[in-house]
Amino acid sequence: MKYKYVGHPYNRPDAISKVTGKAVYLDDVRLPDMLHAAVLRPQYAHALILKVDTSEAEKCPGVVKVVTGKDCKFRYGDNIKDLQPMAVTKVRYIGDPVAAVIADTAAHARAAMEKIKVDYKPLPVYTDARDAMAKDAALIHEDMDNYWRLPTLKQTSGTNIANTYHLKKGRGEEGFDEADVIIEHEFNYPLGSCSAIEPHGTIVWFKEDRTIEVWSTTICPFIIREDLAHSYEVPVSDVRVHTPDLGGCFGYKSDVTTEQTIAWIASFVPGRPVKWVGTREEDYTSTLLAHGMRTRMKMGAKKDGTLVAIKTTLYHTGGAYADTAVNVTIASTHNSTGPYEFKHCDLTGYTVYTNTPAVGAYRGYGHQESQIATERMMDLMARKLGMNPLDLRKKNFLSEGKVNAVGETMWKHNGNLLECATRVEKMIFGKPKPAEDDQYVYGRAMVTVMKSPKGAPFSTKGCYMKMNVDGSVNINMGGAEVGQGLRTVIKQVAAEALKIPPEQIRIYTEIDTQYSPYEWQTIGSMFTTQGGRAIIRAAEKLIAQLKNTAAQVLKTDVDYLEYGGDFVYLRNDPTIRVAVPDLARGYITNDGITIGELAQAVSDARLPRYSNPDQNGQGPIGVTYTMGSQGVDLKIEKKTGKVIVDHFYSVFDVGQVINPLQIRGSVLGGVMMSIGAALTEEIVFDKEGRITNPHLFKYHIPTYKEAPEQTIEFVETPDPIGPFGARGIGEHSVIGAAPSILNAIYDAIGVDLFEIPVTPEKVKAALEARKESK
Amino acid sequence: MAERMIFTVNGKERTVEYEPEMMLIDVLRDVLNLTGTKHGCDNSTCGTCTVVMDGKAIKSCNTPAAKAAGTSVVTVEGLAKGTELHPVQKAISESGAVQCGFCTPGIVMELYGLLEANPDASETEMTNALNKHLCRCTGYEPIRDGALIAQKMIKETRK
Repeated sequence: MKYKYVGHPYNRPDAISKVTGKAVYLDDVRLPDMLHAAVLRPQYAHALILKVDTSEAEKCPGVVKVVTGKDCKFRYGDNIKDLQPMAVTKVRYIGDPVAAVIADTAAHARAAMEKIKVDYKPLPVYTDARDAMAKDAALIHEDMDNYWRLPTLKQTSGTNIANTYHLKKGRGEEGFDEADVIIEHEFNYPLGSCSAIEPHGTIVWFKEDRTIEVWSTTICPFIIREDLAHSYEVPVSDVRVHTPDLGGCFGYKSDVTTEQTIAWIASFVPGRPVKWVGTREEDYTSTLLAHGMRTRMKMGAKKDGTLVAIKTTLYHTGGAYADTAVNVTIASTHNSTGPYEFKHCDLTGYTVYTNTPAVGAYRGYGHQESQIATERMMDLMARKLGMNPLDLRKKNFLSEGKVNAVGETMWKHNGNLLECATRVEKMIFGKPKPAEDDQYVYGRAMVTVMKSPKGAPFSTKGCYMKMNVDGSVNINMGGAEVGQGLRTVIKQVAAEALKIPPEQIRIYTEIDTQYSPYEWQTIGSMFTTQGGRAIIRAAEKLIAQLKNTAAQVLKTDVDYLEYGGDFVYLRNDPTIRVAVPDLARGYITNDGITIGELAQAVSDARLPRYSNPDQNGQGPIGVTYTMGSQGVDLKIEKKTGKVIVDHFYSVFDVGQVINPLQIRGSVLGGVMMSIGAALTEEIVFDKEGRITNPHLFKYHIPTYKEAPEQTIEFVETPDPIGPFGARGIGEHSVIGAAPSILNAIYDAIGVDLFEIPVTPEKVKAALEARKESK
Repeated sequence: MAERMIFTVNGKERTVEYEPEMMLIDVLRDVLNLTGTKHGCDNSTCGTCTVVMDGKAIKSCNTPAAKAAGTSVVTVEGLAKGTELHPVQKAISESGAVQCGFCTPGIVMELYGLLEANPDASETEMTNALNKHLCRCTGYEPIRDGALIAQKMIKETRK
């Protein structure tokens, strides 16, 4: 459908402040009398703390206070309260905060930190879920049974298993007796990092009036507010959290990460703000990592290609604290079916404590980790059945009337996956494949993907809208701008709903829990859908209010009035009307008497009928899905084994494009990130649990020269939930790269690979294997 | 502050006191409060700290402060004249090259350094310059678009 403002390109309002260097990011915030903190990290990834000697550090220049975890009595966490702001009796990973120095400058704090002496007793180290699950493994959390956890979570006492999620659909594993063909393989999506260019940072200020003020690189300021209020026993309203401009998030700034640690440190110097900005190394060692998933998958099909049963077992290297990892495991488990219907599902996900940094959100989490398996398995199954892989996919799509793993029925409005796949098929296979030459061998492949929403019972997004005396409108929401461009989306949706030009709408520029409407977290590709819904609901309220006032001015019933953006008018005689700006502060009559209300509205929106999982691990998770298809043309350099992505293709059914300029940018970036994950990115540990590559020159994220050509298209099957039919798209583009690339490598050299990153060494070895088998 | 130097920043002569271990970025951000220049890594990999010194784009996070003495440094704050943006800023802000914006100051300064000195820079020169900058948001295509628009705009003003 054609709209006046939705579907047209608009430039983002924050572009000017960002090209002039005036955008204020966390490290640019300077406060009166501010102090600086440096945090000491351990030499061991798993060890008892025997003694901390801070005496030398205390004597260093500029030092105000040296802080340890001694006497810390509380734990925190939203899903499992297994976190402490600073290590008390033991360290569980190489980035655990052990002690901290507060000083007048960051340089002084760092210099003094080096003088802290700690005696440790090392314990066995596990950097992989499999090892930590071994029968005789040492316990990382001896006291796990006493931690508070959500009622839906369940630990295995006496082990390192923090949670087991199980989903059963149909007859579960018994359903394999209906299959003619069964295949089983294991895949690995290793630990990675979001690696935003802006590292994490936090400022906490315990004020003399016993309120707490925080600035942080976070997209969950409302959760931080509630968390700190709980930990320090003050009313939630007495904690104020600011989110300044954010230099990228991609997931790892979406949960409480460093805030509780910096708050603990700052609590020792009440009255003065304390700032900490992570080094790039700390951003890797001491914030949240991503992925870390081994997926064992068994798939059964009929001879004609009808999929009947799937069994997935996920071994998740969740890290030293599982509070954030459990969501990643659970989502990866129930999304491991991909966009296909299986009559019988037996899906299990183990979140396992390991001596690695905690895993948290990463763009698209819960999808790419297990759908690398699903999409490789589809190609392997097709080969076994002697079918075209795309035909096998098409036959089993979650199309209208099909039921997904969690038990939701799919409708036409969930999107036209067939159209997406058909377009990608044409793009890739509609042209001849280059023949192998002296230098390169060529491969190509395509996949189809699905992403579910990520909700919670209280995942609401609020919107406050006020009309000004000239008819212009200010909109305030709690959605965090991380680069995705939500201000433009808000502007366009509001313009469409209010029937006024976007130029008359000004969107909030920062989040401050003191003023911002409540927002759960800006995650899960849900802002457009849910935030957009909230905008429309607020606009409807505002328009109703304007009509109520106009009814008194025009001496008629509200029912006979129409709102046109510039005027409210009588339906049967539009010349009887009142200008909208004249209603903004109520209507002021000639004799100075004001009638009607101030034109302002508050609203919110949540995911429809989101529920906790039932005893089978099923239950509605929010109804709106985005599906799509992706694929790749690549070549392998024979001499080196280097994989070069020549062209990447993406087609998603997004319901309705809101801003064509931005939506392309979003997919371009998501694809680039996931090509990085597929080809080069992996957090590497040595045997002692130390990260060997915690720098951008060692953890290689894609560069300018590595960017492939991209073809990106959108199908628009309107969604009934999102604003003007739009669906989420922020994360979906990261799902298809890894399986596409692995499938294309098979196409090129006939070797099956089951893990990423596919480094030149691994591909070189595969090429050698090919030679031998020839 | 143990050391003292004079240099030109954004066209204005400045006398600053600084600690000997400071890098140029520390002087800009912490002494002069010019926070437009960003810190993204600790070992000159990401490029967001790029400024232009005596006409050349350099990384300020690995340039010792003392090296700036007597030079002329331009930072991202020095390009716009009031509300009038430099062509590089205008092009980058309109091509979709800005998402989170954290790499943007470095990219703007890289292109400013390159195109002011050589408006006819070849595609290879542009590519080599931009390959010194990491961007996690855009997939680079809109940055290339912005760079080409900027080059065109600068060439036109020189005609």
